[in-house]
Formats: sequence, structure tokens, C-alpha cells
Amino acid sequence: MIYYIGAFGLVFIGLYIMLTKRNLIKVLIGLNILDTGVNLFLISIGYVGKGTAPIFSRGSEQVLMVDPVPQALVLTAIVIGVAVLALALSLAIMLHKHYGTLNLRKVKEQRW
Amino acid sequence: MNLEILLIAAFGGSFLTYFLGKFSHKVRDGFAVFISSALVVLVTFFYDKQVSINYYSGFFDLPFILRINTLSWFFAITIAGLGALSIAFSLSYMKERKGTNFYYLIMLLVNASMLGIVLSGDLVSFYIFWEIMSWTAFLLISYNRGPAIAAGMKYIVMSLAGSIFMLIGIFSLYANYGTFIIPEIGAGIASASSGFILFILIMFIIAFGIKNAVWPFHTWLPPAHSEAPSPFSAVLSGILIKMGSYGFLLIFYVIVGMNLFLGLGLGRFSFNYILCWVGAITIVIPTFTAMLQNDAKKLLAWHSIGQMGYIIIGISLGTSLGLAGGIFHFFNHALFKALLFLTVAAVEYRTRGVRDLNSLGGLVKKMPVTFIGVLVGALAIIGVPLTSGFVSKWLIYKTLILDGYSFLAFAAFIGTWGTLLSFYKLVHNMFLGQLPEKYKDVKKAPLSMQVPILILSGVILLFGILPGIPLKVINEIGTSFGFESLNVNIGGIASETGTLNTINILAVIAVAAILIWLFLRAGAKSRRVTQEDSYGAGLSVPTDKYHYTVEFYDPFSRMIKPYLRDVIDDFYNWIAKGAQKTFDHIRHLYTGDVGHYAIYIILFLAFLILASFGWFLL
Amino acid sequence: MVSPVLLIAVPLGLAFAIPLFGFISKKISKYIPPVAMLFNLILSLMLMPSTLKGPIVVSIGGWNPPFCINLVVDSLSILFSVLIALVGFLVSIYALDYMEKKATEKYHILYLLLLVGATGVVLTGDIFNLFVFFEILCISSYALVAYLGDKAGVESGIKYLIQGSIGSSLILIGIGILYGMFGSLNIADIASNINSIGSTALLIPLALLVTGFGVEGAIFPLNAWLPDAHSSAPSSISAILSGIAIGVGVYALTRVIFTLFGVSSIFPFLAILGVLTLLVGEASAFKQNNLKRMLAYSSTGQIGLIVFGLGIANYHGVAGGLFQVVSHGLGKSLLFMAAGYMIYRTGSMDISALKGIGKKMPLTSIAFTIGAFSLIGLPPFAGFASKFLIIQGALLKQDALFFVLAALVLLATVIEGAYFLKVCQIIHFKEGNNQKKKDAPLVALIPMFILVSLIIIIGIYPNLVSDFLNSAASGLLDKLAYIEGVLG
Repeated sequence: MIYYIGAFGLVFIGLYIMLTKRNLIKVLIGLNILDTGVNLFLISIGYVGKGTAPIFSRGSEQVLMVDPVPQALVLTAIVIGVAVLALALSLAIMLHKHYGTLNLRKVKEQRW
Repeated sequence: MNLEILLIAAFGGSFLTYFLGKFSHKVRDGFAVFISSALVVLVTFFYDKQVSINYYSGFFDLPFILRINTLSWFFAITIAGLGALSIAFSLSYMKERKGTNFYYLIMLLVNASMLGIVLSGDLVSFYIFWEIMSWTAFLLISYNRGPAIAAGMKYIVMSLAGSIFMLIGIFSLYANYGTFIIPEIGAGIASASSGFILFILIMFIIAFGIKNAVWPFHTWLPPAHSEAPSPFSAVLSGILIKMGSYGFLLIFYVIVGMNLFLGLGLGRFSFNYILCWVGAITIVIPTFTAMLQNDAKKLLAWHSIGQMGYIIIGISLGTSLGLAGGIFHFFNHALFKALLFLTVAAVEYRTRGVRDLNSLGGLVKKMPVTFIGVLVGALAIIGVPLTSGFVSKWLIYKTLILDGYSFLAFAAFIGTWGTLLSFYKLVHNMFLGQLPEKYKDVKKAPLSMQVPILILSGVILLFGILPGIPLKVINEIGTSFGFESLNVNIGGIASETGTLNTINILAVIAVAAILIWLFLRAGAKSRRVTQEDSYGAGLSVPTDKYHYTVEFYDPFSRMIKPYLRDVIDDFYNWIAKGAQKTFDHIRHLYTGDVGHYAIYIILFLAFLILASFGWFLL
Repeated sequence: MVSPVLLIAVPLGLAFAIPLFGFISKKISKYIPPVAMLFNLILSLMLMPSTLKGPIVVSIGGWNPPFCINLVVDSLSILFSVLIALVGFLVSIYALDYMEKKATEKYHILYLLLLVGATGVVLTGDIFNLFVFFEILCISSYALVAYLGDKAGVESGIKYLIQGSIGSSLILIGIGILYGMFGSLNIADIASNINSIGSTALLIPLALLVTGFGVEGAIFPLNAWLPDAHSSAPSSISAILSGIAIGVGVYALTRVIFTLFGVSSIFPFLAILGVLTLLVGEASAFKQNNLKRMLAYSSTGQIGLIVFGLGIANYHGVAGGLFQVVSHGLGKSLLFMAAGYMIYRTGSMDISALKGIGKKMPLTSIAFTIGAFSLIGLPPFAGFASKFLIIQGALLKQDALFFVLAALVLLATVIEGAYFLKVCQIIHFKEGNNQKKKDAPLVALIPMFILVSLIIIIGIYPNLVSDFLNSAASGLLDKLAYIEGVLG
């Protein structure tokens, strides 16, 4: 249960940062925290109490294992998060080159 | 001979004309005249046939039906005839313009889509052809650039708004009766509640009323018809707005049916009586606004609105005389409004684009054929005997007086009075009076313009003297709706309270004319004078400044002008401006700040979650 | 019998092979996307008839459903796949000249990846796989929007990225909750078990998934990224984004709402949301001065119309909504392609700069006008047939709410007509400065006119697509066929 609270706590922290902070780098950090929170949530779903790692080896057929599927999902999700973050950081560099500032409240040329 | 030939020839011919025009203008001109005249011939083949075929089912497997009956035939022959005459007229009118391929393509497409409208037997193809007619007309109204662009925009927005109502009406009928085919709907609607019938009628009346320029919906017409290229103005005023009248006939008598339509209403205020009042207002107000106009085409355009009022009164009154008068007036107005627009176009062509009545004058000697045309047209629209306009107006007056609608009859008479004033102004300011210096070299109208003018004048006079020819067809239309048949003979109509026999009128007038001529021959001698020799009380008359056509009817205009402010137009403009301001505010939702956008996302999510719980807690 | 896996595998392989081809010749990389998309188009057309009988199911990896990742190709999927391949093919031909000077290999790789992502979304039968392909689509579009590196593009790109990734995280949370409830990721499996959980608890993952997919699918409050992104991207990318990417977002929404959940109480809400999107979109488009921004707002409006059609949830409405996806995809791509060259020749994105361009670029202007007429919904073009179906569906419901909504939809049509026709008037009927005729190059005109002919043909003869619409609509409304086809 506590894992869910932790995961959602991270999600809410990440969302709060993304919604309220002005600096683009802070927003991206918030995005990263959001992704981490979601990944943590996915893993906690697959948790089986007192289970071990879900790896087959000789003599382990009777042991309680955690669910391996969310772990696969999370691997994919982590990779996606990294890719998005890399793209975002490169866009942040280009944004700074054009606007001279990373303040998102000032980057408002495309409006209405 | 299949009905589809008409549509294929019409649409195919228009595209073929466009492509021929890429090679040679002369070939294209000849082909355009050929195809439009061929359509007239093809339509006459279908006289007195009742055919209905299913010509296409590729549209979601809905059956599309083409049908021709007397009503369709009557409208189709008018459409084809006027189309051919306007195209013939355009041959010289458009000679020095650019982009004429486009012009002929759209003229023929408008023609073809109007034919499609009257030939449709189911409401989906009716709507499709209606929309095609609307947008092709929009393209051609904007053709002249300059002020025509705003005029075109006003037209298309009002036309699209009208189509909304029609679409809602069509689908409501479909939802209740499961079919789009007109006869089947007519059979099903006989058992409908009067609330539903009222709803359907109002939907379609708004849609057709906008196209027909009935009083509250008329504001698009004056700018559109005056800024369009003049042969197309003839088609616009002559037939396009009458498609609204065709729609009225369709919805009142073919779909809803005479008994249900006339029986609708409470007590004294039957529904069709209210419509007659709308028609009456449509006659009075625009006719007097027309009188104040200084632009020849605007004057004619305002008159088109006014004459529609006569048609509305005729159609809505619910008597066989009235129906005959309304339909005949549709036909007549098509003829004489086209004639008037074509003559004004001829003058405009020869004077290099002048339409301003304050500056023209005295062209009677320079353009005699045109003068005959405008004279016949003016007499017809006023309703002088020997022209067909007299017959249709007589029918309407007679039915109004017979059934005791005194106020409506008074409105109709005032309308005629206003028509007389405005057309005297038109004829006088353009042709009579003194010839200004700058128009001394105006030539006669070219032959390809004179021929349509003469044909139209001839037809007006012919049907004025022998109105039985069209009246026979109109009588069939009336009986097919369920009205009692009129006693029609070649010279007019016989009824209990007196006969209209135009052949007798012709005989009387001819005898009177001969007697007058004999008196003149035997009596005083007259002396020929030149046109510039005007009476100046002994002083010599300067030719340029003595042109007394400027500010015609000035005292009268000053008297009635304050009452004729177009409040409806102001209302529509107010709505349009308000809408534009609202839209401008709406787009400020997208502020440009990405934090706001992210907040929108989270708010939406929160709303969804809370709403879903709310739904289940209720 | 060719396998639908090739629809994803071949373009993906070719995308990663582009740098390898680049060793041979630098010029060859721009011809590879058309080849890949042509292959997709032909394969999808070949697969079309067999989907009418029942969904084609391909299980990957030798496992059986529900434990494997499977591709489920039913008539809805193949319809979208054909649309994606067709528009992708035509735009890639258009880009042969349009992106001549600006494109490098990276553009073509990203372009193919975008289309792979889109095709993957519509073909898959597993919800996490859908998410993965969806992310491929999104990331490629973030990069392509900012591709030119100019001020507007980068700003729009970063804003799109921020909003898109919030959406993706929400989807992932939703998928996680679904997995926690049902223990399976297979759409058919979840769909058959959906009734075992009480409907109250179901609404949270539904809300999350709708919001998440709605960001990409551009529903009302979530579509703030769209005007910026579509107006700042290079025109070939705008055409793909407006025509396809948001259509794919709508597909994902449809799969989730109809097949996965099938909760009927959400439909009136969906209809109201659709009309709201439509009205806000058309109203915002009305006073725009920038041509591409106006077209972008119009896209949001059309998505609202599609969502309204889907929310009607009877046969005509859903078929109409799907038909609107097709006609919008064709029409909006055409408009952006034409606008691209018009902007390039006049050098400015202002609508008032388009004065008199009808004389300078006659064929392009005709293409633009026909696209505009189709979008407004004038017969005899494709947009009329789709609007006809939607309004028919709405009024057939005989419900006061849907009557009012239908009237609002038609009102939005008038607004749309006003601003599109104003642009057409400026193009054709206003005087411009007299320059010689210099139309778009032939390579760009051919795809535009293929689209024009398709719009006219489908408008006059909608029976061409109505079989697939029929089976797609009934497949959506009654998900048993889907479930049985997959699980047996």
C-alpha cells in the first residue's frame, strides 16, 4: 500500500512542478519525476507479498514470484522517458538560443 | 427519352464549354449558346409527361429520384429559356472581360443545378442541387471584384444559414417517415400532428424565405444583385430567387398538402393568412425603398423583393385564382425582370459601366430597341393591360377582393403605385430627357443583345394578349394540387364575377389607337424638333445643366425616407459584429503560456473523475 | 496470404536502413519514404476485402492470445491503415520538392517512424503495445514540429512536448490501473471481462485514458498544443499531423471507449464535448490572420465533429464520424499542401498576402478551393457525405439534446463557411500585384490532384467506402465480433 502512496506522491509532485514552475529546466525535471512516479506505480502493481525475482532456474518452480509483466512495461516506459527527456533538453538548448531566456512565461509568441 | 439526359447535358455541357474555352473563345461562345438552347428544346420534349425514375443509388444506397410533372416542367422551361437568353446576351457583354471561361462555366452550372432542383423527386438530391446552386451563384456574384466581394459574402452566409433549416427539416421528416422520397413523405405526413406540421413548415419557410428574399430575410439581395455581372443578375433575379417559390409550392402543396396547410392555425389567424401578411409587408416596404435608389440595378433589385411579395400572397392565399395568379406572376416576373436587367445591362455596356440614374439621360434616340425593351418591361411590371403582368396582377387583385381581404388588397395596390413611380423614374432617367454631352457617341446595343431583349418583349406581349397559353398549364398545376379548376380560355379566365378576356381588351385598344391616329392625321399639324430643343421660357437652354433627373422625387423621398431605414439589415449587422467580437474573445483561451495549457489538462481530468463519481452517486 | 506484420515491419526496417543507403548516395534517402508507403498502401488495399468477414488476428512470438502481443486487423483498422498509407505516400511525394533544400536523412527517418507509429497504433490488439506505438508517433512528431529549428518551431515543439508527455504519463497510469484490475493487457481479454468489475471503479482508468489519448486527439481543453504545432511545422508535416496524427488519436479514443470499456453512459458526454470542441475551434479560426493557424484551428473543429459523430453511438452517427475522419484526412492534407506552396511563393503566412494568388498559381488555388468546399460540407464533395451521415444519425435519435447539438453543429458549419469562403474570395477575386504565372511544381501538383479526384469521387459515390464504414461501425457498436475473433 505504501508503495502506491509513494508512487502517487511522486506523480503529484511531478505534476505540481510541471504546472507551476517557470523555468524550463525545472519543468523538465518535473517531467522526469512524473515519469519516475508512474514507473514506480506500475511496478508496485505487480508486487506480490514476499515474492522473489521472477526468474526461472532449477529448483525454483514452487517459489512465490512477483509479476514479471509490469517489469517489462516499466523497462519500456523508462526508455521512452529517457528519449523524451533527451529530445526535450535539445529543444531547450535551441529555445535558449532563440529567446535568450528559459522563462516559460516569456516564451509566448505563439498565442491566440 | 430519359430524364437523365437533361442533367447529363446540362452538367456535361458546362464542363465541356470550359474546356473548349481553353482552345478558342469563339467556339466556346457558340457551344454555350448551343447547349443552353438545346436544353430548352430537350425540356419541351417532356411537355405533358409524368415521369419518375431512380437515376442513381451510389449515395449510401439512398434512391435518388428524378421526376417531371406539370409543375416541374413549367419551372424547367422558364429556367432553360432564361438561361439561354442570358447566355446569348453575355456573348457581347462579356467580350472584353477576362476570365470568361470561368464565367460561362458557372453560368451553365447554375443553370444545370436549378434544373436539377426542379427535377428532383427526393429531398436529398433536392438539397444537393440547392447547395450546388448556392455556391456556384456565390462564385459568380463575387466575380466583379470590389464591392461585389462583400455582397457575395453576405449572400453566402445567409444562404448557408437557410440551408441549416432546410437540412433540419429534411432530416426531421426522414426520422419520422423513414424516407426521403417526396410522394412517400406526402402520404405519410397526412397523419401527423399539427405541431409537427407547423415545425416542418417553419423550418422550410425560413430556408426558402431566405432564398426568396421574403421580408425579414431580404437584406442580401440588393447588394448581391446589383454587384453581380449583369446577365447573371438577370438570372439571379429572374429565376434563382424563384427557386424559393418553387420550394414554397413544394412544401405547401406537394408535401404537406392543401388541406393540412390551409387548415393550420387557430381561429381567425390561420397560418396562411399570416404568410399573406408577410407577403404584404414584402410588397410595400421594398417597393418604396426601390423608389429612392439612384443606382439602376439597385432599384431593380429592390423591386425583385417587392414582386416576390405578390407571389407569396398568391401562393399562400389558398384559392385557385390566387394560386394561378401567384404562379403566373412568378413566370411573368421572370420574364420582365430579366428583360429589365438586360436592358439596363445594354445601357451599362454602351456607356462603359454607368448605372447611376442621376447621370444618364436621353438615350432614347441612340438606343431605340433597348428603349422598347425597357418600356415593355416597365409596363409589364406595373401591370398595364396588354402585357402579361396585367393578367397575373388582375388574378391576385381579384382573389383578394373576392375573399374580402381588404387590407391585403390595399397593400397590393400601394405596391403597384410605388412600382409605377419607380419605373417612371427608371425609364425617364435613362432614356427620356436630355442627352448629356458625354454620351453623344453612344451606339446602339449590339445584335446579340437586341435579340434576347426583343424575344422577351415579344413573349410578354404575346402572353399579355393570349394569356390562355400559360394559364392552361398553370391550371393543370392548380388542379394537381387539389384546387378547383379555373375556366380558362385562350383570351383569359371566365369566372362568376366577370371575365377577363384580353382579346377584347386588345380589340378595344387597337380600335382606340386607330381612331387617335386618324384624328392626328386629320387634325393639328405637328412640327418635328430635335431632342435638345427644350422649352426655356424664351432663353436659350444650356444642354448640360438642364437635366432634371437628379434627385427625382426629392420632396417625396424626404418625406418617406426616415420610415424606410432598413432596421432588419441593421439587426443582422449587429448580430454579425457581436458574433465576431465573441469569437475574438473565445480565441483568447489559448493564452500562449504552456503552464496554463497543462492546467487545462489536469482540470479536465479532475472534472472527468469528479463527474463520473457524481453520476453514480446521484 | 500476406501477413499484416509486414505493414509495420517493412517501413520500420526501411527507416533504419536509410542511413545505410546514405552511404551509397546522399540523394536516395528522399525516395525511400514514398516506396515504403506505396508498399503499405498496396498491402492494405489487398487486405481490405478479407477484413469484411472478420478480424484478421496475427499472434506474434508463437504464443496464443491472451498471453501474446497480437495484431488485430478489423475493418476499422484497415480503413485507418489505408488512409495513413495513402496520405503518407502522397505527402512524401509532395515533400520530394518541398523539403528539397531543408531535408536531411533525419527528416525522412523521423517521417517514416511517425507513419510506423501511426500504423502500429491502428493495427495492434494489445493496450501496452498501443501505448508504445503511440509514443513512437508522438516523439517523432515532437521532433518533426521543431525540425526547421526556427523560433516558432522550437517554441511550439517544446510546448507540444510538455503537454504530450503529461498525456502519455496519464495513459500509462491508466494502463497500470487496468492491468491491476484485470491482469491482462490484451484488449479483447479486458473487453470480455469488463463487466466483472463494478462500473464505478472502471471510471477512473477510463477518465485517465480518455484524457491521455485526448491530448493527442485534440479534444477541447486539451488541444492547446495544436494551433501552435500545426502552424509552425513545415507544411508537409502539418499535412501529416492534421490529417493523420489526430485521426490516430481519435482511433485510440474509439478503441478505448467502444471496444475496451463499452460504457454507454459516456456517450452523451462525448457528444457534448465534441460540439464544444467544434464551436471553440471554429470560433477561434474565424479571426485568424495567419493562414496555417486558421487551418489548424479548423482541424480542432473537425475533430470535434468526429467526436460528436462517435458520441451519437448509433449506426449512422458512428459511420458518419469515421467517414469524417477519412474526408478530413484527405481534405486537410490537401489544404496544407496547397497552403505550403502558396506561403512559399508569397513569402508570408498572412491571409491578406494571398491576394490575387488565384491568377499566379491557378491549379494550386483550385485545389485549395476544392479542399475548402469539401471541409465546409458543400455537395458534391466528400465532406458533404460525411456531414450528411452525422446529422442523419443525430436527428434519427429523436432526442431533444441531440437535436440542439445538431443545430449547433450546423451553426458551426455556417461559421466555417464564412471564414473559408472569405479566404477563397481573397485568393480568387482580389487584385494582387501582377506577377507572372508560377505554379507549384509538378511533383507537388500530382499528389494534390490525386487528393482532389478522391474527394470528388468519394463525394459523388460514397458507396465506395460505405461497406467498410458499415462493418467498422457495427464492429464498434457491438464488440462481441471483435472479442470472438481474437479469443476464439
